Amino acid sequence: MSKVKVEDLTFSYNQRKMILKNINLEVQKGEWVAILGHNGSGKSTLAKTMVGLLEPAAGHIYIDDILLSEETSYELRKKIGIVFQNPDNQFVGVTVKDDIAFGMENLCFSKEEMLENIDFFAKKVGVFDYLDKEPSLLSGGQKQRVAIAGILAMKTDIIIFDEATSMLDPYAREDLMKYIKKLHEDGLTIIMITHDIEEALFADKLVILKEGKILLEGDKSAVFHQPRLFEDANLELPVALRISNELDGAEFSAWKEYLWAYSLEK
Amino acid sequence: MGIQFRKVSHEYSFGQKGFFQAINNITLSIEEKNEFICLVGHTGSGKSTLAQHMNALAFPTSGEVEIFGSIVSSKRNKKIHYNDLRKHVGLVFQFPEYQLFEETVEKDIMFGPMNFKVSLEDAKTEALKAIKQVGLNETYLKRNPFNLSGGEKKRVSIAGILAMNPDILVLDEPTSGLDPQGKRQLMDLFKQIQEDTLKTIVIITHDMDLVYEYANRVIVLNDGDLVYDGNEEDLFHKEELASWSLNVPSTIRVLQRLKTQFNLDINPFQKTVEQASLELKRGMNR
Repeated sequence: MSKVKVEDLTFSYNQRKMILKNINLEVQKGEWVAILGHNGSGKSTLAKTMVGLLEPAAGHIYIDDILLSEETSYELRKKIGIVFQNPDNQFVGVTVKDDIAFGMENLCFSKEEMLENIDFFAKKVGVFDYLDKEPSLLSGGQKQRVAIAGILAMKTDIIIFDEATSMLDPYAREDLMKYIKKLHEDGLTIIMITHDIEEALFADKLVILKEGKILLEGDKSAVFHQPRLFEDANLELPVALRISNELDGAEFSAWKEYLWAYSLEK
Repeated sequence: MGIQFRKVSHEYSFGQKGFFQAINNITLSIEEKNEFICLVGHTGSGKSTLAQHMNALAFPTSGEVEIFGSIVSSKRNKKIHYNDLRKHVGLVFQFPEYQLFEETVEKDIMFGPMNFKVSLEDAKTEALKAIKQVGLNETYLKRNPFNLSGGEKKRVSIAGILAMNPDILVLDEPTSGLDPQGKRQLMDLFKQIQEDTLKTIVIITHDMDLVYEYANRVIVLNDGDLVYDGNEEDLFHKEELASWSLNVPSTIRVLQRLKTQFNLDINPFQKTVEQASLELKRGMNR
């Protein structure tokens, strides 16, 4: 059983230009999938259709084998959550506590359960000390953790990160990535939208989008063996691999082998 | 002329709760021409506050900033027309594309010059010049800015600042949110503008790969203190890098690993992938 299945998905904001064209994609339980692509490749649109924020022109999306539709979208919201790029754009609550509660309130959790979940998940993501603070007083990385706590509190087991680290500085980014890794180890299914190859290295599977179509998909090694397609999608391979690809000749083979292993390391 | 900071500090106060010292006793000088400066430091180190002092958007709590001959200090000086002063230094905020609002690209670019009382005709001429400067052709002028890609929107918003013809251009994290090739194209564009016009460009960034490849001067802030002001080459030899929360550029990191692993006789301080691979080839023949 796949956690998320996208079948022949097509999307357009108007009739003239197709943003997504015949996308087929499966994400298994506990898998970490990175979706990479240039600006405007349709990555974020794909993420939004997966959580039912945008309605596809054609095709189907299944979450836990249930077809995402107007009737099921409320129910499915418990199963799949999304963390957006700009941490400031996703706050609705006056305090961190209100914010974590927001999703649960919408799903009619009981008050007792809400309070219990708020404490439990605020501790889990490390924002327990800030529960009564205004979200605007938190750093970017802390804000993203609050967003994650709100999703986990709904007992969601699939999280989409839509360029969720791109507005953070390198240290906050590294910190958030470590935390996402921990969530993955706990069994969560992770879908990560990014154009940062260093982040994509954490994933089990890479999906490369170009102009609304899947150009390439597979594990890191398989994808990195297609450098030209990779660059064709406006992406850059890890620096170690780019250096390795510049070295021709048998005398460099030991170095190249080392650079390959180093590139795949995470 | 240019910009001179003399012992500049800036505190943000939170009413009764106290204050936060954003920058602390900064003295530095930015030339009017021909500098490509990267301003770096961790989040909260004071980079954006420092940048806002460069065109009098923020006023020092103590010390003074001289901007093209006018002295800006904690006391407002009625003799200074701060708006005139801002013509000298164009400031591009982070995510400038969120600030586009007009119906056409042309109107958006003209907005700045018109605010500085440039005639309609001259503003149009400036818009045409600016759109070409950012590497887009004139057909873009009639397009709706909201239908452009992220990279194109960034270029249009930068054109809006260029149309005001500032002497110095200050950009706050211009490449964030762009894909790798988009980043490179934008940095190439700044380099090109700098070479063509000799304008000084100041860029705030977290990306040390770009700093190493493009900057010819780096200013490092750490907790509001100026801790380094010098060239990009010496910076990455500094032992304090990690304590300033700065990463080592990828090329150096990879070459250092190879050097240690295989005991190579190479110089790891190479800026680009091409230079790194050439150095490795030389190393093989040594």
